[in-house]
Amino acid sequence: MDIIRALHMANNDPTAAINIIFDTPSFKSKELTTISRTPKASPLNSASETSANSKRKRGENQNFRSMEPKANATDCASDSGDHFVEDVSTRESSVGSEWWFVACGEVLGLSTCKGRRVKPGEEVAFTFPPKSSLPSPGKIFARGRQHAAACSEIVRFWTKESGEIGRIPNEWARCLLPLVGDKKVKVEGCCKSAPDLLGIMDTIILSMRIYINSSMFRKHHQTSLKAASEAAEGSVFHPLPTLFRLLGLTPFKQAEFTAGDLCKRKRPLNPEDISGLRASLLYLNKSKNPSQNGNEVENEDSISDVDLDNIVGVGNSSELEEMEPPGTLQCELRPYQKQALHWMIQLEKGQHRDEAATTLHPCWEAYRLADKRELVVYLNAFSGDATTEFPSTLQMARGGILADAMGLGKTIMTISLLLAHSERDGSSVSQPTTQSSSEGIEVSNMLDHCPDHPKKATRLSGFNKLMKQKNTLVAGGNLIVCPLTLLGQWKAEIETHVQPGSLSLYVHYGQSRPKDARTLAQNGVVITTYGVLASEFSAENAEDNGGLYSVQWFRVVLDEAHTIKSSKSQISMAAAALVADRRWCLTGTPIQNNLEDIYSLLRFLKVEPWGTWVWWNKLIQKPFEEGDERGLKLVQSILKPIMLRRTKSSTDQEGRPILVLPPADIQVIYCELTETEKDFYEALFKKSKVKFDQFVEQGRVLHNYASILELLLRLRQCCDHPFLVMSRGDTQEFSDLNKLARRFLKGSHNAQQGEPKDMPSRAYVQEVVEELRKGEQGECPICLEAFEDAILTPCAHRFCRECLLASWRNSTSGLCPVCRKMIARQDLVTTPTESRFRIDVEKNWVESSKIVVLLRELENLRLLGSKSIVFSQWTAFLDLLQIPLSRSNIPFLRLDGTLNQQQREKVLKQFSEDSNILVLLMSLKAGGVGINLTAASNAFVLDPWWNPAVEEQAVMRIHRIGQTKRVMIRRFIVKGTVEERMEAVQARKQRMISGALTDQEVRSARIEELKMLFT
Amino acid sequence: MANSNLPRRIIKETQRLLSEPAPGISASPSEDNMRYFNVMILGPTQSPYEGGVFKLELFLPEEYPMAAPKVRFLTKIYHPNIDKLGRICLDILKDKWSPALQIRTVLLSIQALLSAPNPDDPLSENIAKHWKTNEAEAVETAKEWTRLYASGA
Repeated sequence: MDIIRALHMANNDPTAAINIIFDTPSFKSKELTTISRTPKASPLNSASETSANSKRKRGENQNFRSMEPKANATDCASDSGDHFVEDVSTRESSVGSEWWFVACGEVLGLSTCKGRRVKPGEEVAFTFPPKSSLPSPGKIFARGRQHAAACSEIVRFWTKESGEIGRIPNEWARCLLPLVGDKKVKVEGCCKSAPDLLGIMDTIILSMRIYINSSMFRKHHQTSLKAASEAAEGSVFHPLPTLFRLLGLTPFKQAEFTAGDLCKRKRPLNPEDISGLRASLLYLNKSKNPSQNGNEVENEDSISDVDLDNIVGVGNSSELEEMEPPGTLQCELRPYQKQALHWMIQLEKGQHRDEAATTLHPCWEAYRLADKRELVVYLNAFSGDATTEFPSTLQMARGGILADAMGLGKTIMTISLLLAHSERDGSSVSQPTTQSSSEGIEVSNMLDHCPDHPKKATRLSGFNKLMKQKNTLVAGGNLIVCPLTLLGQWKAEIETHVQPGSLSLYVHYGQSRPKDARTLAQNGVVITTYGVLASEFSAENAEDNGGLYSVQWFRVVLDEAHTIKSSKSQISMAAAALVADRRWCLTGTPIQNNLEDIYSLLRFLKVEPWGTWVWWNKLIQKPFEEGDERGLKLVQSILKPIMLRRTKSSTDQEGRPILVLPPADIQVIYCELTETEKDFYEALFKKSKVKFDQFVEQGRVLHNYASILELLLRLRQCCDHPFLVMSRGDTQEFSDLNKLARRFLKGSHNAQQGEPKDMPSRAYVQEVVEELRKGEQGECPICLEAFEDAILTPCAHRFCRECLLASWRNSTSGLCPVCRKMIARQDLVTTPTESRFRIDVEKNWVESSKIVVLLRELENLRLLGSKSIVFSQWTAFLDLLQIPLSRSNIPFLRLDGTLNQQQREKVLKQFSEDSNILVLLMSLKAGGVGINLTAASNAFVLDPWWNPAVEEQAVMRIHRIGQTKRVMIRRFIVKGTVEERMEAVQARKQRMISGALTDQEVRSARIEELKMLFT
Repeated sequence: MANSNLPRRIIKETQRLLSEPAPGISASPSEDNMRYFNVMILGPTQSPYEGGVFKLELFLPEEYPMAAPKVRFLTKIYHPNIDKLGRICLDILKDKWSPALQIRTVLLSIQALLSAPNPDDPLSENIAKHWKTNEAEAVETAKEWTRLYASGA
């Protein structure tokens, strides 16, 4: 490592490097003594060097030998003569850190005086306007040149003898102002030449010496992930790089591509390529949710597969090479899966590790300062960040996005990758795992390459913390992060397909999960959920040791990676903060709602510079939103090398489909309501329409979006079974009593720091929960009746919802009538009860027309012994369905959001293995992702969802790899009801997606849609 | 009957007050207005009001239980928080009213107020002053008044 460091110092000249090592007795030591004074430039170049050298030799731990002084520094010093009067060290003490001499620049000052004199060589001082009056750099940028001359931005210079002489050019002032204002940079100057007698606007040539403060490098940028949103508002004007440019500094190592290049490369594209595409994407962006009604609305905006393919492109990957999986994989891979394996291995290889460690990251440029200490500073051409540590390509992406469509077996491809190339087998990359734990590899590399002096400074304060954190990282294996629903599946798939003993597996989940880093690190594969990741991320600062963040992972895989799509979310930041050498995203839908979704993935993958919001925003997001195709084209070119996407219709080299699945027969069953159902529906519809029409009249449709959705919800439920309308709304979320208890106990735990008295005691909460569990009725303290639609306050008191809300002056918050604690409406919890129906549904059981049809179908299938999955979006409907299924003796199981992981696994296993069980009742949301249900060959979707993609996703659980039988899918629609019109809206939505609409049009389209539903 | 649309809650409260009265308290609705209650509270033991029977009137306003009942002493009483018109200074009857309170709890609170006069938050300045300067004498006066006005008449 020392050699590499020396090489770097010697600018890759081996001879020079060897000399450095031999000439520097203490080279290996990283400790440096403080140099208290910045060497003053002295008239004689040689003298200054000697004095500096002698000074250094006296330093005990000096590991540094002066090398060739920079040419331009020399020039400048000799040119400027002996006029640096001011003692630098006095000023420097006030800031308390070192000043490094950057370079000397020639500036054409403009005289603002008449009749005054300034002699060549005379020292000039500069006056910077006070910082408070400065507009932020962002504003300067935005307002552009015409305003740059505003008074507050003028930097003037003066001499002791003559007073104000002139001002420096705006471009200099603009980049100096913020830097000087923050005490990051200081300036000294003298006159080089000037007319004998100054007149207004005369040119004065100045020589400016720029010093940069070492404190600037202390706060290393990479720790600022949590402040990402701040950065997002930042501008793309970076004073420091601009200053370097003005000084005429050229990097001795250039970034491979720069912001400038990217901008230049933006050439007009052939509009034919993208016309349709652009429109669909525009829609995407414009339909940012106008209201916050949670999932329902959000899902409406998600995009279809077709559009997705348009955006990200279905690569023609048929020519990819195949790679045989290792023998430890106990199943056959299909050819396209072998291609994926080869592709992933190639992407991971990247550069050889040592090479990567010594190669400059392509977004960074290296500059040599004119300072006698031979300092090297690295500037990020994109973010404007500066650092003294060598930014190596180790920090770059190694990995990518495996975006194959659902059902192609992303899981098995990933498992084959884990087996083919895993740190544990030790065969692949030279990985110093034995150089154990106590030192993060990345950091030690970085340090070794850290050229010289600045280390002393950067080791202080902020960096120390970073070091400490990094140093404690334990080298680990593979980490797989997936949604809770898939935890069991990953485990099962690994256990089934991996030869026992070749990959140790550990599931990191649950309250009692160990935090010990070594436990995590010693396993070949650790599986965890996004929930665990987020909670350990937020706890990270509190606990120094343990958890997912104390491991430097060999590889991190995010399954269903679109989970992290919103970049400001905790989970997205949590994922990006993981330390790993290789990173993968698995997702069938890399973009769900918005182009921005990609940004979050790129940030996780460390695809620079796109993980920096400003650049993403400037070069991709903005152009794209403004309808400039180049933004999109750029995304495609970024994604092309790092993303693999095939769909079920992709073909291999011979043009055959890569995957042949048994045919799927998809049909819609139109049901008719019975007379009584119809009456009920009509009555409900009339009532709802009156309300809706009122909203229309008042022109407040969009303001009442939530209420309207609620009206629609009731109508849609009525199509399933009128009993549902008599069910109580939101019990399902908290219907698990233990969850409820935890919520309260957590609440009281949180309050321990703050206001412990306000929270109910543990014992009381337990009593309440116990009471609820026993189903004790109790009465509302307000109406003194049995609870009707009971709610629970955060202080664990129960009321009828109506009663409590009536007692409040305003509708959003009020006092608890029992304990007078202030509570907000959103904190109220609907209390769980045994039955969510207001009537005894068993006793009064009536079959709805949908249920009649479903039972008929299931009876037919029973004869064939064919398994079915029955989807509904309402668990209350699943409740109801249990009644007729039990009565007809059809054995069934149920899977919904209330089950915990073990229960889920048990249900899925039993359904797959027990041939007696024919039906699985499943809530649409619980069945959304990942689950493999190929044991069933029939799916019934009982109620339409706003977005057909969600339905499709659920149904695809059965129509995927492993399915051997013909698949039958039946969707139920009740004629002449809101369901039928929802179908029309779905179709219309497709049309809207393909036509660009303005915001206003989208708004009115929304209203139109709603009106359609109420006709 | 004029009270045909009396809220269920009031009916329920009334039934309970009648069937299981609180010790030392009786409350019965007026025949012609079910929202109007004739109340009697026994002076709490070990208070200056011991042995006295105090009459009060209680009226449930239209908004009840979202608004507090209106309660007033009919019997003259020497108490720093009760004025000569019988009006009572008690927070739950004013801003601290909560719909989770009931007629019963209100009356129990008033009974408690008799046990623990609070001269620091007076309604009747003179009595409160008396209480503060010479509590023994004030208590004597209260006992005297109880004998005079509240003894079983």
